[in-house]
Amino acid sequence: MESAAVKILYNKEVAPKYFKLGLSWKTPPIAPGHFVMLRVSDGLDPLLRRPFGIYNVLGSKGKGTFKGNGIELVYQVVGKGTQILANKAAGETINLLGPLGNGFPHPDGSKKIIMIAGGMGIVPLHMLAKSTEGAVLLYGARDKKVASMAKDFKDTKCKVKIATEDGSVGKKGLVTELLKTELKSDSVVYACGPVGMLKQASIISQAAGVKCYVSLERSMACGIGVCLGCAVKAKTHNEKENKNYRMVCSEGPVFDSEEIDWDAL
Amino acid sequence: MGRTVNKKANPKLGVEIAGIKFRNPVMTASGTFGYGLEFTPYTDLNKLGGIVVKGLSLNPRQGNPSPRIVETPCGMLNAIGLQNVGVDYFIKEKLPALRKYKTQIIANIFGETIEDYMEVAKRLSDSEGVSAIEINISCPNVKKGGIVFGTDPSEAAKVVSAVKGSSRLPIITKLSPNVTDIKVMVKAVEEAGADAISLINTLTGMVIDVEKRKPVLATITGGLSGPAIRPVAVRMVWQAKQVAKVPLIGMGGIMNARDALEFIIAGASAVQVGTANFVDPDSAAKVADGIEEYITRHKTSLKDLIGSMKVG
Repeated sequence: MESAAVKILYNKEVAPKYFKLGLSWKTPPIAPGHFVMLRVSDGLDPLLRRPFGIYNVLGSKGKGTFKGNGIELVYQVVGKGTQILANKAAGETINLLGPLGNGFPHPDGSKKIIMIAGGMGIVPLHMLAKSTEGAVLLYGARDKKVASMAKDFKDTKCKVKIATEDGSVGKKGLVTELLKTELKSDSVVYACGPVGMLKQASIISQAAGVKCYVSLERSMACGIGVCLGCAVKAKTHNEKENKNYRMVCSEGPVFDSEEIDWDAL
Repeated sequence: MGRTVNKKANPKLGVEIAGIKFRNPVMTASGTFGYGLEFTPYTDLNKLGGIVVKGLSLNPRQGNPSPRIVETPCGMLNAIGLQNVGVDYFIKEKLPALRKYKTQIIANIFGETIEDYMEVAKRLSDSEGVSAIEINISCPNVKKGGIVFGTDPSEAAKVVSAVKGSSRLPIITKLSPNVTDIKVMVKAVEEAGADAISLINTLTGMVIDVEKRKPVLATITGGLSGPAIRPVAVRMVWQAKQVAKVPLIGMGGIMNARDALEFIIAGASAVQVGTANFVDPDSAAKVADGIEEYITRHKTSLKDLIGSMKVG
């Protein structure tokens, strides 16, 4: 974990409002599922940092954890902060805090890995795909343009199946329908995407008696477990600290889906 | 009283409040710095005048449902609901590691009854390593929380005098800005025995999602912090200074040394850095460095700066 001023290597639009951002950074070890907080502006508005999942560690051939000379993030322009970020050019400097959070539990090889992503949820799973073999990615995207992100999985040993809302590529409909057909009793599921999709993935997996890990996204102020803003309600009570809430930033963002109270999200 | 101050500290930057010697006038505000230890990867705790830890209650508290925070122009609203590990867990699990640092540890406390406040104060007083108690009478987030105490001068006075009677430690009372006349509150808690006064806590606010016509926060309202509230906070410190006999600790949207100096010049003997810790975890140490640079450049001392505003 460190706070660093890093140089932007590139910042390019790869699909409408989807950007790839390369940052020059001699990284500490990074695991799939880790994230960083970026300060998109030195001004006071927007004030807070924004959390971003890590898509790639540049110049690393690691497995499990990666160390490299840069990272690649993928983000979607959704508001003021990401719009400011989209306007930044190569050569500019940006302040980064990271790597933060806890990554996906590394698959032990005994289970068949199913990754399920919705939209931007593809980001941390790309890192996971690079450190696993024989996995399948189920990718749910709005349309063909967003679905084109899946081509990046060509450099992984991972099979890709796509579902789009408009049917322009792959199966028409929800990606969770693909999960139902793909799921076997010896599967393990890794999911990232909108809350509705994660909840469904959790229900489907649980019904099949399959372990499902989810990576959650919440509004955050600090990213390091002190503001207590990114709380999600847990089903289980933490006896040691006597609490029902979990912090997405410091105790997640990856959770065992059975731990989350989905009705409270 | 208090702990050893690092000998290398610049004497012109030091300040004594309620018998505690602070190496510099910069502390971290309660609720924005956890229990301090979370920040060790990013900042040197030994560079801080003091650390005010996350508010402690007699029993652990779960806090509010989410969403708990929302960003606002130059600030943020929070409704955390005073989630905390409870006073006993703090004393056993956090304090032993924290007291190794050369900084003053201030325990922020709150309760739902006067008896709760007294018991928390007593337990902290009996433990080693806490330099002072800051009483939260002003958190606007919890329905049963401190709001009654914080907006009613006689209730506020009752809490202060009860805590004072339960603890050997100096008492800092943290005031709510959500009152008509801050001077009334200053006088009330001072007469009740407060050794120092910190201000301001967050201003009550709310944000509505107009598409859904719903409040963004689960609790509807929350506390506004960040640079958006700084001018209000500076004004209230200046007003408090007109009547206060005890030292003031100013806070509200301090992002850098310049902001902190406003509070000091308005009358604060020390400052607390809050929301800025979320933006840059090294903020408070940088504020301390910046104040030192200012004092050197202006050939002055902190003591001479306090309340030095020239009018006219």
